[in-house]
Amino acid sequence: MNALWQTLRTGLLTRSLDKLFRLPAWAPGWPLLQPQGLSPQVRQALQALCPSGAFQEEPGEFRLDLAHCVLCGRCRRAFPQAIEEMRSLEVAVTRRSDLIQRVDLEKGAFVEATPPLPTRSELHLPTLAFREVSAGNTGQDDSEIALAGNPFHDMARFGFSVVASPRHADALLVTGPVSQNMREALLRTYQATPEPKGVVAVGNEAIDGEVFKGSPQVVGGVDRLLPVDVYVPGSPARPPAILHGLLLLSGRVRQRLVGGRLQEAGPQSARVAR
Amino acid sequence: MDALIEALSQGRLVALDYQAPTLRYFVERAEKGLEVLELEATTTFPSLARDFPALDWFERALWEAHGLHPEGHPALKPLRDHQKPYPFDPIEGLHEVPVGPVHAGIIEPGHFRFSVLGEQILHMEVRLGYQHRGLEAQMQGQGLAQALLLAERAGGESVAHALALAQAVEAAWGVAVPPRAQVLRRVVLELERIFGHLGHLAGLFTDIGYAYAATQVGKVRALLQGQLERLTGHRYGRNAIGPGGVYFDPDRGTQDELQDALHDLGREVGAHLQAALKHPMVLDRMRYVGPVSEAQARLLGLVGPAARASGIARDLRQEDPLYQPFSPVVRSGGDVLARAQVYSEEVRQSFAYLERFLAELPSGPVWAKEAAPPPAAEGYSRVEAGRGEVFYWVRLEGARVARARLVDPSFKNWRALEIAVRGMGLPDFPLINKSFDLSYAGCDL
Ligand code: SF4
Repeated sequence: MNALWQTLRTGLLTRSLDKLFRLPAWAPGWPLLQPQGLSPQVRQALQALCPSGAFQEEPGEFRLDLAHCVLCGRCRRAFPQAIEEMRSLEVAVTRRSDLIQRVDLEKGAFVEATPPLPTRSELHLPTLAFREVSAGNTGQDDSEIALAGNPFHDMARFGFSVVASPRHADALLVTGPVSQNMREALLRTYQATPEPKGVVAVGNEAIDGEVFKGSPQVVGGVDRLLPVDVYVPGSPARPPAILHGLLLLSGRVRQRLVGGRLQEAGPQSARVAR
Repeated sequence: MDALIEALSQGRLVALDYQAPTLRYFVERAEKGLEVLELEATTTFPSLARDFPALDWFERALWEAHGLHPEGHPALKPLRDHQKPYPFDPIEGLHEVPVGPVHAGIIEPGHFRFSVLGEQILHMEVRLGYQHRGLEAQMQGQGLAQALLLAERAGGESVAHALALAQAVEAAWGVAVPPRAQVLRRVVLELERIFGHLGHLAGLFTDIGYAYAATQVGKVRALLQGQLERLTGHRYGRNAIGPGGVYFDPDRGTQDELQDALHDLGREVGAHLQAALKHPMVLDRMRYVGPVSEAQARLLGLVGPAARASGIARDLRQEDPLYQPFSPVVRSGGDVLARAQVYSEEVRQSFAYLERFLAELPSGPVWAKEAAPPPAAEGYSRVEAGRGEVFYWVRLEGARVARARLVDPSFKNWRALEIAVRGMGLPDFPLINKSFDLSYAGCDL
């Protein structure tokens, strides 16, 4: 009786996608370069200040790699004229290059990116089963995948499930920089997955190793080993961003980050059952 | 040597480190604080692992990293290096069940080798190292900001690791952290503990098919994570702590709202846990399952809730002036139920401390005054994380880490699983494993 009463009182927890994709007010957004604010001094200061080396300068070009941003918010606090904020969780992309903002220093403008690639149509299915492989992850990207299944996010309502065996899976969710000791196990799990199969790299570590990049004990990114269909940035990747990645893989939403910048939401995303 | 053996027999080993040509055993003093017992060694050293299994993995790690041979080690084999051959314990005439490294759930990788007679587990060996990322080596030569990012990714508990590294640096430099920052650090540490413990409990309820309790506990856990994010800007409390202070500073409004929210969450989850842990189904599935005796716990050198559930009244918060008066939560059964009870009671305890910390939050700055770092310094620190003691030792050259040695509580507690599953049924393994809920990454580094 108590349990029934409690259940009624708890009510419905599941949140609509629109709500989920909104970043809470107190969480820092993704940094967005402001080409006109990037004087040589500011560029140098940004590179010195960022703890995870997300800023890079090449001759004639300044870059911000979102897959190396740990979202500490320090760059924007120090240089509001050079860094704006992108407040969205629809950040999954199909190309690694769509996580990198590139500013042409001569023109003082962003390098235009080509239109994003669509995901493969053979994976545009009403339900998708995933096998998760943690490969050197801290455990927190794994935890966020598990939380994407909780009543608040409820990935099951979109037909997504996590299955015990790769034999039953349509795609792999891989976290971590791929430790050398997990390399073989990851490859074998991939081989055991029937075609057609997809791969989602979940979290910065899985995309380019993040803080582990350069360690001889890690491969430094899932795409060094397997063809990656969707990249979900974040440190760790947040559950709504993971949902966005899975919806992108199943062809139900549009990619919004192009060349590291947010495009307007298109009419396509309205098609998802909310 | 005598002092070392005495400390080991009382389960007071904290860490083992080697800096040529000296082995350094960090042990807890009988009264309070740490001491370092040293032993010269160039190519070999006497192994004590046969009598004191707490040293087993420490000695193996040392052998693997420095080539120093522990003479008389009962089962010398690699720990994190998968290039070398790994002989499993020879068990003849029994059926072997290999599990992992890729498991069925959403969990980190590790390998378990069961030797079973029918359904009964007679022997189990844990083989880890799959998560090894070379973290300690990676820390060498890094600036403090980079070292902190690595610390936050060392094990499952970002706050405790960042705090331990920050405190080690502060100890080395003699930095006095302002009172407000001290209390705020403990607020996030307790939030992390509750978040972790509720995760272990929800997992246990899921494993026995008690979906109602799992969902209710999971709901509170998700809302609590929201509060941690509200305070620090991060869902796991990363980017929140630095040497000398904290990166967040709640205003009065946030502090009040946090206090109210935590009050409600604490009451809600407390009621659920109290009812759930008395449920006949829970008692039936958890009692007498996966026991670790107090004597075993001392020999293995267990820490944290795993030790306290086996009757060892040890919690580093006993020595922290901000927590006084403090009495550790202790149970004697050492089984899955005892560990669940410790988690549940510690959740209640942490909510009570949170209430006190937030009500008495001092005002003032959240950063220590900046001073130029000395050219070279050394320091260590210990933090009671959700899973037990996190230990950091660092040598700094200016503001760079010249060398770091860290021990995650999971490194000490994994062996307990091997003991706990003996004689149990194979299907109970997931439940027993979940009752310890250890970090693979923290162990493998
Ligand atoms: S938010 Fe922090 S990690 Fe991200 S780019 Fe800015 S300074 Fe670097």
